[in-house]
Amino acid sequence: MLPEPVLRARGLVKRFAAPAGPPIEVLAGAELTVRRGELVVIEGPSGSGKSTLLNVLGLLEDADAGEIRFGERTVSTLGRSAKSRERGRWLGFVFQSFLLLPGLTALDNVLLAARYTSGVDAELRRRAMALLERFGMAERRDHHPAQLSGGEQQRVAFCRAVLNDPPLLLADEPTGNLDDANGAVILESLRDRARSGGAVIVVSHRPDAARDADAVFTLAAGKLHPAATRRPSGAGTL
Amino acid sequence: MLTSLRRALRGYLFTIAGIAIGVAGIVALGAMAERIVRFIDGGDRFVLGQISVAGRGMGMGAGFTAGGLLPAAAIEAIRKVEGVAGVQPQVMLPLNPSTSQFMTLTQELVIGMDLSVPSPNRHYRTLPVQAGRFLREGDRRKAVVGASFAVSRRLAPGSRLELEGTAYEVVGVLERMLTAPDRFVVVAIQDAREQWVAKDRLLRTVLASGGVALRAQDLNTGAAVGWRDGADPDVVARRIRDQVAGVNVQIPSELSSLLRQSTAFFSALLVGIGLLAFVIGGLSLANTVAAAVFERIRDFGVKRALGATDWQLGREILAEALAVTLSGGALGVLLAMVLGLAIDGWARRSGQQLFLFSPRLLGGALVFSVLLGAAAAAYAALRIVRLSPAEAIRRGSAA
Repeated sequence: MLPEPVLRARGLVKRFAAPAGPPIEVLAGAELTVRRGELVVIEGPSGSGKSTLLNVLGLLEDADAGEIRFGERTVSTLGRSAKSRERGRWLGFVFQSFLLLPGLTALDNVLLAARYTSGVDAELRRRAMALLERFGMAERRDHHPAQLSGGEQQRVAFCRAVLNDPPLLLADEPTGNLDDANGAVILESLRDRARSGGAVIVVSHRPDAARDADAVFTLAAGKLHPAATRRPSGAGTL
Repeated sequence: MLTSLRRALRGYLFTIAGIAIGVAGIVALGAMAERIVRFIDGGDRFVLGQISVAGRGMGMGAGFTAGGLLPAAAIEAIRKVEGVAGVQPQVMLPLNPSTSQFMTLTQELVIGMDLSVPSPNRHYRTLPVQAGRFLREGDRRKAVVGASFAVSRRLAPGSRLELEGTAYEVVGVLERMLTAPDRFVVVAIQDAREQWVAKDRLLRTVLASGGVALRAQDLNTGAAVGWRDGADPDVVARRIRDQVAGVNVQIPSELSSLLRQSTAFFSALLVGIGLLAFVIGGLSLANTVAAAVFERIRDFGVKRALGATDWQLGREILAEALAVTLSGGALGVLLAMVLGLAIDGWARRSGQQLFLFSPRLLGGALVFSVLLGAAAAAYAALRIVRLSPAEAIRRGSAA
C-alpha cells in the first residue's frame, strides 16, 4: 500500500511576458506526485524554471494552467487568503537566501511560522527552543540575522520551516549560499525530515543532494523528466 | 502584540523622525495661525460686546474710543436713549503718546474705568484676573495690568508702577487673553483723567485759561455702552448717533467688519501658509509611511509565504503604520511645542507671544497625521497583498 500523496500537480503551465516577442513558457505541463516520507530532488540548469516550479507548487505564484492538490483538496483554484491558509497548514519553506526577518531574533524568526497559523503559545515556544537547540542555535536565540553566519541563518530558517510540522517541505537551493559543512548539515536535516514521514522537495545543484533521494527529476523544456528513482513504487511519479 | 509593535517601531526610527519633522512644521505654523486667530477673535468679541462711543473730533484718546472729548452731558444723554442698558465713561490713553497709533490693537494703553458703573460689555463683564484682584470702586493710584504688560516689565501684585510721574501699586495681573487687554493698564477713571491732563499740553492750557467750563467728569475719551436684552445693538447705536449731538458712534457690526478687513491680509496669509503646510507636510508624511511599508515588501512576502492572510497582513501593516504615525505625530507635536515655547520664552521678554498651541490644533494635527498615515499604509498594503508572495520577495530582494 503506497503512502498517501501529499502533493499532486497536473499539467502546470507558467508563462512570463518577454520584453519582446511571445511569452516565455517556463513550465509546459509539468506533473509531479509526492507522497509522505519521500525526498524528491529536482535538478536542472540555471534558468530552467526550478524555482518557478517550486513557487508554483508552494502557491507562492499562480500557474497559468494546471491543477495542484494538497492531499485530497484542490488548492490551485482557491482565493488569495485561502491559499495563504493552506500554505500555513501544509507547507514549510527553506529558501536559498534564508529570508529571515532582519528585525526579529532567531527565536522570533522561528516562531513567525506559527504566528499566522496556530498562534504562539508556551508549547510552541518550547518546541522552537528545542529545535534551535537541536541545531546548535540555542545560544544564539536572541541574535538578529545580521549577527549570524550564513550557515546559522539557514539552520534558523530550517527550524522555522519545520516548527508547525508541515506535511510538505519545499527547499529551494537550500545549500546555495552555504559552505560544504553547513550544506551537509542542512541536507542531512532534509533527509531526516523525509525519514520521519514528511514529504520533501529539494531543488539543488549539489550532486550530494540527490544522495538518498527517493526520486530525482530534471526540469527541461518546462517538464519534469525522471533522472533516477529508488522508489519501490516508482513513485515520485510524473 | 506590544512587543512586536515595539520591535517594529525600532525598525521605523527614521520614518518616525521624518514624520515628526513634518508634523512639527504643521503644528508650528498652525500655532502661529492660532495665535493670530485668537487675537483677531478676541478683538472682535470685545467690539461686538458693546457700543463704543467717543466725542466727535480728534483728541489724544486712543483705542476703540479714539476721538474728541465726551462730556458728562453727552453721557447723560446717551443713558436716556431707548434700548441703552448702561453707560460706562472711560478714558483711553496711549501709554506712550509718541508711539504710532497705527496699530491700536497692539498698543499699550492706559484705560481709566468708572468703577461705579458695571462693565456694559456683554462679553467682558469682568476682565479675568490671573493674580491679585481687579480694581474696586474707590481704588486710587492702583493699577491692574495685562499679562504681556506685566511680563515685559516684571510686574506682579504688590509691584510699583510709575505713570506720568505718579507711583501706582499693581494690585492685579490679568489672565493672558492673547488680545488687546494683554497690553492694558487699567486704573480708576479719576487717575486716568489726571494722566490725560499731565500728558496733554493743549488740554492743560485750555483748563488753565478757564475759557471753557470743564468739570472733571467731562474729561472722558469715550464710553462703553450696553443695550437691553432683546435690543439690536446696531439699531441702538444708530439711535444714539441720531439722538445725541457731538458723538462718534461705532456700530458694533461695522466695527467688527472693519477689524476683520484690517486683519484680512494676515488671516489670508496665515490660511495660505497653513494650507501649504498641511499639503506639503501631509504629502511628505503619506510618502514617508508608504515608502516605509514598501521598503519591507520582502518581509511581507515572507509572511504571506508562512501563511499570513490578506486580513492578517493588512491589520499588521495598519497597526504598525498607526503606531508609527502616532509616535511621529506625538514627537512632532512635542518638538513644535519645545521650539515654540523656547521662542516664546525669548519673545516674552518683550511682552510677545508668537505661538498658541491650542488643544484643537494639537488634537487636529495628531488626528490628521494618524488618518493620513493610515490611508497611506492602507494604500501600500492593498498594493502589496495584490502581489504574489514570490513577486513580493523578488521585488524586496532586488531593492
